[in-house]
Amino acid sequence: MANVIGKSIVIDGEISGDEDLVVQGTVKGRIMLKESLLVESSGTVEADIQTQNVEISGAVTGDIQATSKVEIKADGRVVGNIKAPRILIADGAKFKGNVDMDR
Amino acid sequence: MANEPPGVIGKGIAIRGNLSGEGDLIIEGTVEGEIALKNHLTIEETGVVRADIKAERLTIRGEMSGNIEASDRVAIQTNAQVTSDIKAPVVVIEDGARFKGKVDMDVELPDGIL
Repeated sequence: MANVIGKSIVIDGEISGDEDLVVQGTVKGRIMLKESLLVESSGTVEADIQTQNVEISGAVTGDIQATSKVEIKADGRVVGNIKAPRILIADGAKFKGNVDMDR
Repeated sequence: MANEPPGVIGKGIAIRGNLSGEGDLIIEGTVEGEIALKNHLTIEETGVVRADIKAERLTIRGEMSGNIEASDRVAIQTNAQVTSDIKAPVVVIEDGARFKGKVDMDVELPDGIL
């Protein structure tokens, strides 16, 4: 079962774990996952993110470090520095920050 | 809100901090800190919660410690392990549940008792 932080949920603190996480609500603080993070269009994340994969359709403010891939979808908005071997920014996405693809 | 599926904090997830919001929530993982939820919170058998909880309804099947304030009811089910002071109009403790703490149902007892 997918972990879902629903639209009306606000978390202020630290989330860690080894399962996929879907954010539809608000998370402030820090997110550390072994697998994938999905920020849906209703999601707002003000947190530093460390994970394997990130897919962003919502709003993210914070530094992102992924061991595999960061994907900013067309409706994603990201302010922060991204470090990952693969970084995809779709047409329409808004992004401000540094990109570091060093392997 | 009622027809929205409940949020789930799964087994492999740990949250440290404050969690608040509306809607139903199921915790199968670990939460430390504070929880304020407008609707129904369920702590499943695998769930471990060390937090002060404010919610409308609370169902506990796992491990929980911290203070509870519920506006509707608290149900501590079989296999639950709870250390808590509970304030709620209805508190149900099932056979097999382990509970340590105070219960305040704000009941007015008839004269002659206590």
